[in-house]
Amino acid sequence: MELSINCLTKLFGRKLAVDCVSAKLGPGLYGLLGANGAGKTTLIRMLCAILEPTCGEAEFNGREIAAMGEAYRDALGYLPQSFGCYPSYTAAGFLAYMAALKGIPRDRAARRVSELLDALDLGAVADKKLRTFSGGMKQRVGVAQALLNDPRVLILDEPTAGLDPGERVRLRNLLSEYARDRIVILSTHIVSDVEAIADRVFVMDAGKFVMSGTVPELADQVRGKVWEMTVPREQARQWQERVTVAGCRREGGQAALRIVADGRPSDRAAPCEPTLDDAYLYYFGGAEARR
Amino acid sequence: MELFALEHRKLWRAAGTRLCVLLCFAYFVLYGGLLGNQWFVYGSEGGDPTRTYNHNFDGYAAIHSYRELADSYGGYWTDDTLPRMVRDYRDRGYPGFQSMADWTLALTYIHQLYPELEDPEHRFISTMYYVDPGDLTGFYERRQAYLERTLETRRQNGELTEDDIAMLLDMDSRAEKPWRYGWVSGWDSEVRSMAGLGARLAPWLAAALAFTFSGERQLGAAPLLRAARYGRRRLARAKVLSGLAFAAELYALIAGSSLALQLIWLGPEGWDLPIQFDSLLAVAPWNMLQAEGYALAFSFLNAIGYAALVLLLSSLTGSGVVSLTLSLAAVYAPGLLEDYLPRWARTALQLLPPASGGSDIFGCNVFHILGRGVWSPYVLIAVPALIGLSCLPLAVLGWSRRR
Repeated sequence: MELSINCLTKLFGRKLAVDCVSAKLGPGLYGLLGANGAGKTTLIRMLCAILEPTCGEAEFNGREIAAMGEAYRDALGYLPQSFGCYPSYTAAGFLAYMAALKGIPRDRAARRVSELLDALDLGAVADKKLRTFSGGMKQRVGVAQALLNDPRVLILDEPTAGLDPGERVRLRNLLSEYARDRIVILSTHIVSDVEAIADRVFVMDAGKFVMSGTVPELADQVRGKVWEMTVPREQARQWQERVTVAGCRREGGQAALRIVADGRPSDRAAPCEPTLDDAYLYYFGGAEARR
Repeated sequence: MELFALEHRKLWRAAGTRLCVLLCFAYFVLYGGLLGNQWFVYGSEGGDPTRTYNHNFDGYAAIHSYRELADSYGGYWTDDTLPRMVRDYRDRGYPGFQSMADWTLALTYIHQLYPELEDPEHRFISTMYYVDPGDLTGFYERRQAYLERTLETRRQNGELTEDDIAMLLDMDSRAEKPWRYGWVSGWDSEVRSMAGLGARLAPWLAAALAFTFSGERQLGAAPLLRAARYGRRRLARAKVLSGLAFAAELYALIAGSSLALQLIWLGPEGWDLPIQFDSLLAVAPWNMLQAEGYALAFSFLNAIGYAALVLLLSSLTGSGVVSLTLSLAAVYAPGLLEDYLPRWARTALQLLPPASGGSDIFGCNVFHILGRGVWSPYVLIAVPALIGLSCLPLAVLGWSRRR
């Protein structure tokens, strides 16, 4: 099973939203990281065959996805960034509707709906109207509908938005388990969402993949560029203005800073183990500065 | 089929749809039908002419008295019927004309067929007061001359050709004479009401259906639906079919209720009277029941054709408000633009659903298609329905194409 992206490009008028992006994805969980406006959602919409690329193509198992039509959509599960659900529907009713749209036979659909509602901790509110749901509950309903057809390609655009920490961990675990023999693409701008579970991460900026690799590989790119040091609390703001500060923790009257910088920012700074967050900040902090 | 059922249920459970159907029913059936029959159309004349609705709340009883009067002239319309009506009107002490179809008819016929009998010095007094009943002779000859004169005037205006006139006169010659006569008003008003029902339902259909596709985009549900296996063509087909089914159901609800009210209040009598009692220029050899059949088919096909147009507009726009505005523009813009357009453009707009020419069965209009004159009711019933039909695949395409 392979999803192959071949120089996928999208122009909106004169604005280049996605700029010749290529990748080959086998089974596993892929994190798509990038700031707002980086082109993640546009890329995802093209991968879902909703948006027509200006040029380039995406292929699933060697066949162009748009040409596959229903066959590709049968293999696809998709959660859009912000999705509208019908307020007068119950959670179970909405999922049953989506199951019919996905061509799942009614008896199988009923079982699957029930399974997913339980898995996403929505069983108790299955018969409640969606208008009464919180943002996090709606998001879980969205994840459930994406999983309904047991898709071979699962694409989730900002699935953790609105979820509380417990729900986020539960969702991560669910996706990690799911990605064992399927392709899961998780788009987010929250680094910790992908850090824990992604097999490979693509960092997007200005419509391009600017970094890609496993989490340790990406973190390794900033080895020797991440520092920790303690400063008087009143100096913390000055440091934040001067360098990229990845973390600031109070310790009595002091502030413990985690700094991402090419060179040692101060004699007091000690190198430390880099994370994906640091790599992300290093790139985007630098990109921001370059802008 | 399952998708159709789900979409149909979704359409009906929308609060906007339910409100729309409720208001539509209240307006057409309760207000226009029930209250109209019992009060402000057929109720007997009230004592205060300054009131907006100067009628009593006694339509059901009043209609019985109108029917009795019509029955007294019943049978056939002969040369003697018009003079008898005038004499009778005077014998009864010059009552009001309100809803007395027979005397309204008599006054109209005198005005149209015997204009020389009108006294210019008594312009503000009804002709029925002073005309000599003995002068009201040769009704059918006068009517024939009136028809030919009108057709000739329209030929000179470029609206009709010699062939058209021959075709229309041939149709007229097939209408049985003398005309049967009786209680005209019930079926006459019902046929006219039905003929215009498609156009009158249009704003309600627009309100309910304009959001079918564009509402999904507005809500943000479109990407979700379109990424599902059956979320493109099959979903679009299900939405289109459920929209058409809704239009048919709303039509059946309003038309069925209206027909039931007519049968209860106005009675079934008069179905076999010729449509010439509606208009002296009617040439079709049809009775009221045939005209009702045409009117039902016309307004139904128009409602369906218009629903299809609304669905197309909805599939092409991203906002329910925009598709609603465009749908309403299709109803009202032709009327607003009429005075500024050349005749051919006016004629073309007439054929855009919802066409409003259902009453052409009472007239003698002709469309020229490929050099051949075709009686307008045939064109008016077919073309808007065909336009609607051609909108359907485009609506499916509008939703299912990638953007």
